[in-house]
Amino acid sequence: MKLILLKTILRDLLHRPWLTLLLIISVALGVAVVVAVDLANASATRAFELSTEVIVGKATHQIVGGAGGIDDGVYLHLRRDLGLRHIAPIVEGYVGAAELGGQTVRVLGIDLFAEPPFRTYITAGTNVSLDALSAFYTQPGAVLISADSAARYGLKTGDPITLQIGTTKKQITIVGLMQQPNDVSSRVLEGLVLTDIATAQELLDQNGRLSRIDLIATDAEAETIRQTLPAGLRLVRASEQADTVTQLTAAFRLNLTAFSLLALAVGMFLIYNTVMFSVVQRRRLLGILRCIGVTGREIFMLILAEAAVLGLIGSLLGLVLGIFLGRLTVALVTQTINDLYFTLSVSDVSIDALSLVKGLLLGIISALLAAALPAYEASSVPAVTVLQRSDLEDRIRRFLPSLNIFGVIMLAVGAGILVFGQSNISLLFVGVFLVLFGLVMYVPVLTIFVMRLATATIGRVGLTARMSSRTVVQALSRTSVAIASLMVAVAVTIGVTVMIASFRTTVENWLGQTLNADFYVSPPLSGANRIVSMDPALVERARAVEGVDAIEVLRSVTVAAQELGDVRLNATNGGRARESRIFRSFSGDPESIYPQLDAGAIAVTEPFANRHNVTEGSTVTLLTDKGARAFSIVGVYYDYSSDQGSILMSLDVYRQYWNDPAISGFSVYVAPGADVNQVEDGVRAALGGNDVVVQSNRALRDAALVIFDRTFAITQALRVIAVAVAFIGILSALMALQLERTRELGTLRATGMTLRQLWQLTLLESGLMGATAGVLAIPVGLILAAILIYVINLRSFGWTIFFTSVPEVYLQALLVSVTAALLAAIYPMLRLGRLQVVEALREE
Amino acid sequence: MSLYGASSDTNVKRVLIALAFVALGVVGAFFYWRSLQTPPLATEIVALQSSQGSDGFARVIGAREMQFPRDHGPHLDYQTEWWYYTGNLQTEDGRRFGYQLTFFRRGITPGTPVHRASEWATNQIYFAHFALTDVASNTHNASEIFSRGAAGLAGATADPFRVWIENWSATSMNADASKVNLIADDGKMAIDLNLTASKPPVVHGAGGVSRKTETSGNASYYVSFTRMPTEGTLRINDDEFRVTGNSWFDHEWGTTSLGENAAGWDWFSIQLDDNRELMFFQIRNKDGSIELLSSGTVVEPDGATRFLSRNDVTITPQAYWTSSYSQGKYPSKWRVTSAAGDFDLTITPVIADQEMRVSFVYWEGAVDVQGTSQGKPVRGRGFVEMTGYGLQARGDVGY
Repeated sequence: MKLILLKTILRDLLHRPWLTLLLIISVALGVAVVVAVDLANASATRAFELSTEVIVGKATHQIVGGAGGIDDGVYLHLRRDLGLRHIAPIVEGYVGAAELGGQTVRVLGIDLFAEPPFRTYITAGTNVSLDALSAFYTQPGAVLISADSAARYGLKTGDPITLQIGTTKKQITIVGLMQQPNDVSSRVLEGLVLTDIATAQELLDQNGRLSRIDLIATDAEAETIRQTLPAGLRLVRASEQADTVTQLTAAFRLNLTAFSLLALAVGMFLIYNTVMFSVVQRRRLLGILRCIGVTGREIFMLILAEAAVLGLIGSLLGLVLGIFLGRLTVALVTQTINDLYFTLSVSDVSIDALSLVKGLLLGIISALLAAALPAYEASSVPAVTVLQRSDLEDRIRRFLPSLNIFGVIMLAVGAGILVFGQSNISLLFVGVFLVLFGLVMYVPVLTIFVMRLATATIGRVGLTARMSSRTVVQALSRTSVAIASLMVAVAVTIGVTVMIASFRTTVENWLGQTLNADFYVSPPLSGANRIVSMDPALVERARAVEGVDAIEVLRSVTVAAQELGDVRLNATNGGRARESRIFRSFSGDPESIYPQLDAGAIAVTEPFANRHNVTEGSTVTLLTDKGARAFSIVGVYYDYSSDQGSILMSLDVYRQYWNDPAISGFSVYVAPGADVNQVEDGVRAALGGNDVVVQSNRALRDAALVIFDRTFAITQALRVIAVAVAFIGILSALMALQLERTRELGTLRATGMTLRQLWQLTLLESGLMGATAGVLAIPVGLILAAILIYVINLRSFGWTIFFTSVPEVYLQALLVSVTAALLAAIYPMLRLGRLQVVEALREE
Repeated sequence: MSLYGASSDTNVKRVLIALAFVALGVVGAFFYWRSLQTPPLATEIVALQSSQGSDGFARVIGAREMQFPRDHGPHLDYQTEWWYYTGNLQTEDGRRFGYQLTFFRRGITPGTPVHRASEWATNQIYFAHFALTDVASNTHNASEIFSRGAAGLAGATADPFRVWIENWSATSMNADASKVNLIADDGKMAIDLNLTASKPPVVHGAGGVSRKTETSGNASYYVSFTRMPTEGTLRINDDEFRVTGNSWFDHEWGTTSLGENAAGWDWFSIQLDDNRELMFFQIRNKDGSIELLSSGTVVEPDGATRFLSRNDVTITPQAYWTSSYSQGKYPSKWRVTSAAGDFDLTITPVIADQEMRVSFVYWEGAVDVQGTSQGKPVRGRGFVEMTGYGLQARGDVGY
């Protein structure tokens, strides 16, 4: 390409700063959203990997036990009797630390002398003084924290920290600070309280028990060791352990990515509009270029080059914006992971180079793709400086039938993927996109239809009204794209809103049904996939309180299942809780479900059944403290507490197979006639001295919904961005439209139309377009919602959501689209006021 | 090099050395877990060693009424302690081996710790060195382990006497601990030996007290079994050997560290075939002089002992060997003479390179002896230990 041409066109850009800015912003916004989500995901994953690295270190294998951990003697046997050297005992747990910003931190208890082969980077260069190490080794309650954490929370050596451990508070002392020269490592150390193994056992009340034993061994050596292990202990590859945990969040992260891509797709419409706008504006310049011998091909390349340059600038800006947004997003993502999956502390966004490159490429490629059609249009500008737009519109009109056929094909393929795509979530999202764009193909046809309706109805009001609806149809190549982009944005909003609302209603109903006890007692810090324990003796103390009718105990642990990996197991003796469970399916008659559970069978939640492809009649083999044991499933019940699913077992059966007398919490039923508040106070008093959380039915329900809302906060945020993108889209489309019509408007002015009438015309046109987008968005939104509910959620999370209609959303959608369209009309209207009739007529 | 003049207590300097050695070893232990990645500098170790306080620990001041087996066991009121087994062994067809198995204890705080709920709680660190010299293949290999003195992983008891770290141990086979079973296995080499003392325990110095310096309390207690006929098995890689020979056992405890101007020490334990034994050590100062309190003991066939002061013994190096690993230039042949002890001996290492390449680098190896004792030609075997010749911290030599 001739450089001079590029210079010409780029200089031309400078004369149209608003246009240039618009294009850059559209690219930047789209890229920013993708980059933000990607960075947040990458940061969460990286933080997880790093904390795994610090925790697992160079271990190749780990010996793990049930909820009770591993007896000290096992380690002693391996080390002293078998002479194994590359083996390290670990005692760990999660605790709350008030002085560390109230966050949940990991207490990691190590044996200094067993550590060197494993976690060199806790150790190497930590620059812990010998005095600190001496205290660490000998003083009860001595801990090391990272120097960065200490600085952040204003702590120093010698300061006490109060830990919330289970139902008690314990005080520990910082005896030294761990320094890390390497920035990455120091971030890992931040969520960590390092203690001597003896201190950890005492703090976590795990005397005589280890959380796990790390090993460095070849598979053959590991196999030999495996054979010496007592029943109930397992030897697993360290990488498997880590993988299981990463997989936990895979569906969640993928969903986020898909939503961010949706935002980019809306952004592409916007780029298309903007480039189209610039082509229209420069028709004269392009015509002159053709006159002086520039070929159509060169014009095509020129427009693409311009789009690439602007795309690059926009993308770079998008990266900066994305990094900024990422900081906000990462907090939301981390919160959700903490709420739903596992404890993770991400203190900062790691700027992942790969995320940035991806964002940059995505931005430029979408800019090029979106500019291709306008560029083609520009290249076909005839050498005569005047283009008959009607030509173009005629061609579009002729093209409509093929567009519709194309739409049918996209819809068919998309639907096919959704139906047969099974649980490949990436593929399912391709299906969603295909369906969405398939529907978009019908926007021009539907616009013509809606405009005819408009002509027939409001057209009776007056000339401007009639003119407006016809103008929209006449400029179909422009208007339909603007309508489509607004429609997609609004439809996505409707779809996501309806899905979330349906989900929320489902969960609310489920909570209402499930939470039938009067109040619940649990240790603080209980959360998803965390094992918390409390003293079973507390149950008896609570039971003695007057007015307590019944108490039902829950033990919630993670156990290993053959082939399925770690699974959540809830063991309960609940008699009344039984009535609250709703079974999706079961074997035999409903009356026999619980007797069968008492006899040793299990029930599983719906997500568990879907995830592991099991149902009533199947068996699940669990590795109990008494060895591997197959349990048959009698039923599948609805549950929305975890997308990983869980197993329900009778507490008596659990205790028969596991040596674990601890409990995770209990629920209290108040005797009829007794005052719930009084009984609750009585129980609190009876448990005095123990730090337990007593939550009423209502409070627990609200807490669950708070977590629910927090989980979807990020989706809400993405939705807002999608609308913002759409708004800019409709604005640029309208501006393009008005610019193109400068001569026409000039003529109208010249023939006596008042400025007021022109304003009316503009407002009407814009409003009609907005209304069309809003009306079309409703069915499209509902289709999207249905896909999200019945396909995406069911397949990626495994739960059934019951569809709830949200009427106000439709009204809202209409309102948003029309308002956006009317707001977008303001600038063209202002421009109209400055329109010089003579200039306008001279335009072409 | 010769020693002149009168002297006070026996063994003072060797005790000093031993304790300093233990102290350095402990620092090594603490930094072992770091050293693999970031080699600590020797200066850092020295600095940290001096920062390690000995407040609250008992001092070795008066003579001690030694009681066995009680005093074979640990003395937790004192900061450092070590049980030291060395020996010369041979197979039936004459293949020669030397071995060393040493257990070190270091208290971080004095006495038994306050009772804590966790079995893992401790204020003691144990570490051990294990080495084998194989003369036939001209090889010497050493390894070390560290452990906390808790949870059954490592510890020491007096009655019955036992000291162990993981699967390395010295366990008494009878009530007075004169019969001991030694076991060590580092995966590549192993020993399983039974030692039986042929003479009563030797209490060095006055009442076992070895004063270090003029400062009161800078001393330690020191007892030995100087001749322990030994039989058992020894394994190097996959080759197992039945062996017999003689071992030497030292046990020392105290609360001290090496003096400022000490550069290193040389220690000799010799078993002669006329059934006499000789222990002697000397401390070399940085200025090249020999510490006044260097000393030794001669044990007669009937178990009677005789104190040797610095001036009673003359030690003259006659050849040198330079380690390519630590750059240390070690003496590798000595003439040791003493009119008071009535001997004139030439001592030669069985192989030149018996350098201990563990956290703290030193030379410790089997030696051959020949010369005269009480006017008659004599042959013998023994062990020599030398420190302060090369770079001592492992980090300095490229690890």
